[in-house]
Amino acid sequence: MGTKTGNRHTAAQKAVASARAGQRGHRTIMIIGGAIIVALIAAIAISVITAMNDGDKSGADGPLVVPATATADGGLAVGNGPVDVDIYLDYMCPYCGKFEAANHADIQRLIDDGTATVNLHPLAFLDKASQGTEYSTRAANAVATVADKDPGHVLNFNTALFENQPEENSEGLDDAKIAEVAASVGVPQSVTDTFADRTFVPWVTQSNDAAFENGITGTPTVKINGVVTEVDLYTAGPLYEAVTAAAGTTK
Amino acid sequence: MTTLFTRARAIRQSNTWIYSTMLFSALISLTASLVLSIDAVELARDPTADLSCNINSVVSCGAVGVSWQAQLLGFPNAFLGLIAEPVVITIAVAALGGVRFPRWFMIAAQTVYTIGLIFAYWLFYQAIVNIGALCPWCLLVTLSTTVVWVSLTHVNIRDDYLPMPRAWRSWAREAIANDIDLLVVIAWLLVLALIIVTRYGSALFA
Repeated sequence: MGTKTGNRHTAAQKAVASARAGQRGHRTIMIIGGAIIVALIAAIAISVITAMNDGDKSGADGPLVVPATATADGGLAVGNGPVDVDIYLDYMCPYCGKFEAANHADIQRLIDDGTATVNLHPLAFLDKASQGTEYSTRAANAVATVADKDPGHVLNFNTALFENQPEENSEGLDDAKIAEVAASVGVPQSVTDTFADRTFVPWVTQSNDAAFENGITGTPTVKINGVVTEVDLYTAGPLYEAVTAAAGTTK
Repeated sequence: MTTLFTRARAIRQSNTWIYSTMLFSALISLTASLVLSIDAVELARDPTADLSCNINSVVSCGAVGVSWQAQLLGFPNAFLGLIAEPVVITIAVAALGGVRFPRWFMIAAQTVYTIGLIFAYWLFYQAIVNIGALCPWCLLVTLSTTVVWVSLTHVNIRDDYLPMPRAWRSWAREAIANDIDLLVVIAWLLVLALIIVTRYGSALFA
C-alpha cells in the first residue's frame, strides 16, 4: 500500500515536472523566435533608414539650376527654325526608342535646314522602371548637362542614348556607361565628369511635373507649334511632312 | 498574465480562430484578385496603351502586362484567384458553422492550395527577379495566400490528417502545440518585407 501511494506520488511529480519542462521548452522557443523576429525588424528598419539617406544623395533637394538652352516650359532647345517641335520622351521608354530610330535623321534635317527648333523634354516618370536606380532621371540629367555646357552635341547624345537604350525594368546604364555614350559622340570629359554632380536633377523633376500638369499623358508625345500631333510616330516621314507643312503656314 | 497567455495559446488551436483567419485572408485574396482581374481586362481593352508609355499605367509601358508570366495559362493569373478563393471561403464558413469535412476532402484542399501557394511564390519571384516591378495588389495576394495556406496546414496537422510518416506527424503536432508555426510565419513575412525593402527601398522611400 505504501509503495502504491509512493508510485502515485512519483507519477504526479513526473507529470508536474514534464509540464514544467514543456513550459520551459516553450519559453526557450519563444525567446529564440522573438530574438529572430526582433533582429528582422531591426534589419528592415536599417534598410529603410539607409534607403532614405540614399534619397538625399539623389540631388533632388539641391538648388534649381536651369540649363542654358532650356525653354520656359522645360524643353532643351536645339536649332533656331520658325516651327516649334516639342518632343516629350523618357530614356527608359521603349516606344521613345522606336520613335527615335524612325525619326532621328528627319529631326536632324529639320534642324539643319532651319525649318524647326526642336525642344527635347526629357521626362523621368519611368524611374519606377529601373529597379530603383532612377535611370530616367540620371539620363535626363546627363542630357541637360550636355545642353548646358556643350549644346552642339545634345542631339547626337540623345540619339546615342536611344541606340544604347537599356531594357525596360532593368537597372539601366550606370553613370560610367552614360558618360561613355556621351564621349562616343564627342562630348568632352570635362563635361561628362559633371554628370555625377546631378546638377540638373531638380530641373528635370520640375520639367517632368510641368509636362504632366500641362496635359501630357505619356511618351513619346510630339507637339508641333504647341499642338499634339496625331501622325504616325513610328515610321520615318509622316512627322517630317507634318513639320514642313506647318513651316509653310508659319512662313 | 500567465493565464491570459495560456488562454491565448488555447484559442489559437480552436476551430473558431483558425477558420476565422482563413476566412478573413481568403476574402482579402479574393478582393485583390478581383481588382487585378479588372485591371487585366481594362489593359486588354485600351488599345492606345500599347503604343506609348503611359504615366498612369499600372504596369510600365504595357511590357509587363503582356509578359508570359502574367498569363501562364493563357488568361490573366488573377482569374485563378477568382476561381479558387470562393472555395476556401466556403470551407471556412462551413467549418465555422460546425461542418466537419472528411479526411480525403481536407487532403484534397491542402494539395490544391499548396499548388496555389507555389504558384503565388513563383510569381513573387518572377516579379522581383525578372520583371522588376511590384504591384501592391500582387503583394497582398502573396501575403493572404500565405496566411490561408498556413491556417489550412495548421488545422490539418492539428487533426492529424496529413499523409506523412508517423514521426513527422508527431513532430509537426509538437511544433504547432509549441507555437513554432506562428513564429516561423511571422519571421517568414518579415523576411519577405526585408527582401522588398532592400530591393526597392530607394524607390519607395527616396
